[in-house]
Amino acid sequence: MNPEPFLQLDRVIHEKGRLAIMSLLAAAPQLAFTELRDTLNMTDGNITAHLRTLQESGYVAVTKSFQSGRPLTTFALTAEGRKAFATYIDLLEQIVQQSKGEK
Amino acid sequence: MESGWASEHLQVIRTLMERAAVYRRALAPTTLVTGGIGTAAALIGWFTRIESPRGFGLFWIGVSVVAICGAFLTVRRQALKDKEPFWSPPTRRVTQALLPPLVAGLVATLLVVLSAGALPARVWWLPPIWMVLYGCALHAAGFFMARGIKLFGWGFIVLGCACAVAASLRMDADGLPAVRNAHGLMGATFGGLHLAYGAYLYLTEKGKNAA
Repeated sequence: MNPEPFLQLDRVIHEKGRLAIMSLLAAAPQLAFTELRDTLNMTDGNITAHLRTLQESGYVAVTKSFQSGRPLTTFALTAEGRKAFATYIDLLEQIVQQSKGEK
Repeated sequence: MESGWASEHLQVIRTLMERAAVYRRALAPTTLVTGGIGTAAALIGWFTRIESPRGFGLFWIGVSVVAICGAFLTVRRQALKDKEPFWSPPTRRVTQALLPPLVAGLVATLLVVLSAGALPARVWWLPPIWMVLYGCALHAAGFFMARGIKLFGWGFIVLGCACAVAASLRMDADGLPAVRNAHGLMGATFGGLHLAYGAYLYLTEKGKNAA
């Protein structure tokens, strides 16, 4: 098998927690911190660390606002994040296709 | 190189993307509020003797508006408590799925109410029509929700069809019961069934019932 696609996989996304966050955000325009945390069953600290890594990579944008006087923190994929996620999926599909071709 | 992990990753991504589209608000409080309003309305209708066909139809249109407002306020309260947006994409999808049968129900109600002066027995068509259309609305919304909403919708559809058959048979035979009894039927279905389902959800939903 050609190892090229595997080597090209984005190391930021290729981590279980961050991949889960990226997957959820790819399917929704934006999600609140609590929605991400509860859907993925992660702790506050764990998800905060992953979100910070994704933010630093430019893949996720954070918006802080107020809803009826209460703070509301939402996250969304940036254009760069959406592109990186699509590339990551393409590479996974290439790996699967290569494997099928070899069988 | 083994590629099983890649397939598994793709499967996990698919599952998570589907999960992001699912409506997540706890259903027990909303269902209990709706059931409470339905039961209270049935009792009011029964004891205040709202027995004219037109009065029956208009009364229950008003009750449905109150129930919808109550459900939305409950959902909004949950969203605020969870620090999440109220009008989220899943909430929008559920509302869009509910809307067509509910609008059809409103039109059917107005048609029956407007023609009920001439044929009072027609009012007995309203509860079955409402049950069937409400069941269709729940079933459609169930595609974006968990927790057996589609089955609950089917329950209303089956009950509505059974009531329609019963009303049809009674209409041909010895006539229909007084309109007052229709309040009882509405209380048992839109009130009682919601309360029973809400109680079931309340006992089985974890950590989401406080709102």
